[in-house]
Amino acid sequence: MMPTLTTSTDRGEARLPRLEQIYFYLTAGCNLACRHCWLAPKFDPDGSRYPTLPVALFERAIAEALPLGLTGVKLTGGEPLLHPRIEELLAIVGERDLALTLESNGLLCTPRLAAAIAQIPKRAVAISIDGVDAATHDGVRGVAGSFDRAVQAVRDLVAADTPPQIIMSIMRYNLDQVDAMVRLAEKLGASSVKFNLVQPAARGQALYDTERAVSVANMIALGRRVATELAPATRLRLDFDLPPAFRPLSAVARGDGRGICNITAIIGVLPTGHYALCGIGEHIPELVFGQIEADPLARVWRDNEVLRTLRAGLPDRLEGVCADCLMRHRCLGSCVAQNFYEHKNLFAPFWFCERACKDGIFPQSRLAGRRAQAADSAAGAGEAKS
Amino acid sequence: MKLGDRPLANPDVVLREEYDDWAVLFDPETANAVGINPVGVFIWRLLDGRNSVEQIAARVADGFDEVPGSAPEEVRAFVERLAAGGFVGFAATGATP
Repeated sequence: MMPTLTTSTDRGEARLPRLEQIYFYLTAGCNLACRHCWLAPKFDPDGSRYPTLPVALFERAIAEALPLGLTGVKLTGGEPLLHPRIEELLAIVGERDLALTLESNGLLCTPRLAAAIAQIPKRAVAISIDGVDAATHDGVRGVAGSFDRAVQAVRDLVAADTPPQIIMSIMRYNLDQVDAMVRLAEKLGASSVKFNLVQPAARGQALYDTERAVSVANMIALGRRVATELAPATRLRLDFDLPPAFRPLSAVARGDGRGICNITAIIGVLPTGHYALCGIGEHIPELVFGQIEADPLARVWRDNEVLRTLRAGLPDRLEGVCADCLMRHRCLGSCVAQNFYEHKNLFAPFWFCERACKDGIFPQSRLAGRRAQAADSAAGAGEAKS
Repeated sequence: MKLGDRPLANPDVVLREEYDDWAVLFDPETANAVGINPVGVFIWRLLDGRNSVEQIAARVADGFDEVPGSAPEEVRAFVERLAAGGFVGFAATGATP
């Protein structure tokens, strides 16, 4: 009846955390050319032009990660279903009893593949759909016919007892389709809808540069509308992927931590077999930690200087508004890779929160330190509305 | 003096209400914070050193629908968690010998 949510904790000294998840970026290419992609893989319609992760390296990374605490893998890309031996990879995940997270554009999802995915007991699949009609989705995704195939992928997965999440990245192109996307997801039988913030990296940066991205203020307002109006009116779970400071406490207390990156428990594997902080390592050599064939994962996980620095410094060394944010223990800077991409600093603040703070729209109720004292003083009676 | 059963909000703690009727309790002295739901906000406003935990539980029962029979225990546990975090104390009820 009266749940409380502690937002400040004493984490004690940094310890070697469990390596719980590997994010496998299986393909260097992608069969779509999305306007907002933060990785910007090269266009590869059939998966033959650019590197894909060898199965042997996939197996080896998993084998070395299991003693470190591995419980699940995320298969992403590029486009994971573009991998020429994707069924073998899925079988390995199932045989090791790992939880599967699969993020796909759905183009290559067949009933056969959906059945293979359904063999994995612990599974979560997300299909990206960025519009409720072909004109919008195909326009964003750069390939005609991609909407129809993504919708069919959802249907095939539902039929195979794997109702997927639909991920919609919010841009000016589709800003007026948020409500309709919930209706489409209901109609298709999806399990949930996640609304993503476009990151200002790679092609995503171009969207911001040309004012085709949605402003911080409008994203905050939309997030509140989704939480207060759309979510109560649907049976679907709706996740609005803003940093925790902008999420309703009720959602955080329910455990809606989905989309929060627990960076200290994850390592990425690139299509070349390199270990990296995440897929952004393809653009930032400093965030590549070694190679599966050459470097034992236990040593990388224990000794890599970037990982050690992050463990010792998160969240206390976070800078800017993150240093004053009451949610920093949960948020951990939201996206360290994005922060490093922009500032070459592992503890730089997250761009969205900094912008909100600069614009005076960061939730004052989530601040500690001098900024909070100023807000509480301004409130006068000792109560501050966010 | 001894501590009684009448919880008293730490006067330094700030209640910051949010748009969904949840709130953050923030202690500027320690920078500790805790999120509380609307029932918790209702209880917080009654922590004035005059209401006992039982009286507060009765007010909760009057003020909300479908309050479970375990409400008095839950109210007590809630107040004790806040007390453990330094957000709440208990009013003294008399002089010690």
